[in-house]
Amino acid sequence: MASLSSCLASMARLSLAAPARPLLLGSATSASTIPKFLLPAAAATTTWHQVRHASGGGGMRKRVKKKKAHKTFRTYDLSQMQQFSLCDAMRYLRAFEVGRPPAVVKYELHVKLKSTKSGPVIRDRVRLPFPVKTDTRIGVICPEDSPLMIEAQQLGAVAVGQESLFESIRQGNIPFNKLICHVDSHQALLKAGLGKILGPKGLMPSQKTKTVTNDLKGTVQELIGADEFRERNGVVRIAVGQLGFTPQMLSDNIKAFMTLLKEDIDKVDDNYLKELDEVVLSSTNGPGFSLNGLFPPTDDKITPEDLQSVM
Amino acid sequence: MVGVIRRLNKLTAKVAMPASDPPLPVVTVARHSARLLLRLIDSINGGHMGPRKFWRTALPRLKYWNPAIPMIVNRIREQEKPATMTLYLREPGAPVKTDVPQPSSSFDGLSKAPPPAEGERIVTINMSNRRSEAILQEFMEKTGAVPVQPTPQDEMELREAEEREAQGAVDRERVKREVEAEKREKRMIAQALSEAAAIKSALRWFDARRVLGEVTYF
Repeated sequence: MASLSSCLASMARLSLAAPARPLLLGSATSASTIPKFLLPAAAATTTWHQVRHASGGGGMRKRVKKKKAHKTFRTYDLSQMQQFSLCDAMRYLRAFEVGRPPAVVKYELHVKLKSTKSGPVIRDRVRLPFPVKTDTRIGVICPEDSPLMIEAQQLGAVAVGQESLFESIRQGNIPFNKLICHVDSHQALLKAGLGKILGPKGLMPSQKTKTVTNDLKGTVQELIGADEFRERNGVVRIAVGQLGFTPQMLSDNIKAFMTLLKEDIDKVDDNYLKELDEVVLSSTNGPGFSLNGLFPPTDDKITPEDLQSVM
Repeated sequence: MVGVIRRLNKLTAKVAMPASDPPLPVVTVARHSARLLLRLIDSINGGHMGPRKFWRTALPRLKYWNPAIPMIVNRIREQEKPATMTLYLREPGAPVKTDVPQPSSSFDGLSKAPPPAEGERIVTINMSNRRSEAILQEFMEKTGAVPVQPTPQDEMELREAEEREAQGAVDRERVKREVEAEKREKRMIAQALSEAAAIKSALRWFDARRVLGEVTYF
């Protein structure tokens, strides 16, 4: 009876707090013999035994405050934020990124919106005057052995086809980073059940993202050199330039992007809050600088031309 | 997006760059410096720690105060080669040229030091096995660079950043203690509960045996 000794051990511990030969005889509900401090749950069940005073103690009872759920993303008082002109921010960022390959390092723009947490989100494509990424490889889903297939190949698609393309995607062979689908093949695509593979990569063609089309040429041209952006948690982020860009190039890109973003914001249903709040410029390794919308540097010894040197 | 004050505090601490100890002077390079090339080794072994530190701590300041001067870093893999800095100094009276072919920074050793252009002369500094402060000192001597004195506002910001950091350390310690205490309490409650359950089951075992007459009490 090995277990008896272990049981006696726990008994001995019990005897420290309880009488020597306690209530074992005839204790059918042994839980009642256990000290209260050892069994808070048991203690809780017996609270109705306690004497209640006339007042009921209602005044002292702590009420757990229900946390108020905010319907909009939090916005901050920007009057305390130090803001920079574009050239000032670039001067700092170029200092932070000194010695890094200029084609690898990107300027990033973060636009904070005053926005409701639920409701429509901003999502669009922008064609910047000076493209940031130049490695777009397009795959096209269209019926096999059709004139469309030849057209797609001539447009520079790296992968073309229908069933053969589905099969290669299933095998994990994805040589493209943009995928479009011709309307004729859309049903076949939906039946193929590739959403699990393509969805997480953001490659699944859909009407919403304008990647299901009957105008292959127009869509391919739009995709090459076009950058997608979308609002996440009330902030739209996009790469707007390479480190080697001049202030004027970066300014043009930011202007083109902001113009489109404002149009998108205007298109949003009036029932939902959607407004510009803050624009922040950062870079791959640099901190974020809140922009004040001005261009020239504040230091009169520096000109925008000084910020064009090779990095 | 992170709150405004927190972002601003972090930014001022970074822009003030108080990280180095002793604090490096912020340096402006005399106008006759044309270009600045550093050859760095990818690893910190073999005396390459100082050059890397120079790149990380001193070069951003140099770049901030001299945005027009190309400062190129060429990182190479060959550890046996020394880390060198090549300064291209403009001869007095030579015209400022902007169309000099200049490769950009490279992480693959592609941006080798070109021969000096017309009206330029080369000065090299050996950076291997030296501390970044010593490298900066030699750099200042050879270029005739003048330290930029911080304004009273800069000093105030720096001081505030340091104070925030000190207060932050105190607060972190306090929060750590509080979290520890909370965890300890939870652990104790869990232990007490499990012990109570053990006792309960033991008593049940005894009760069952007593009914069967297997156990006799003293």
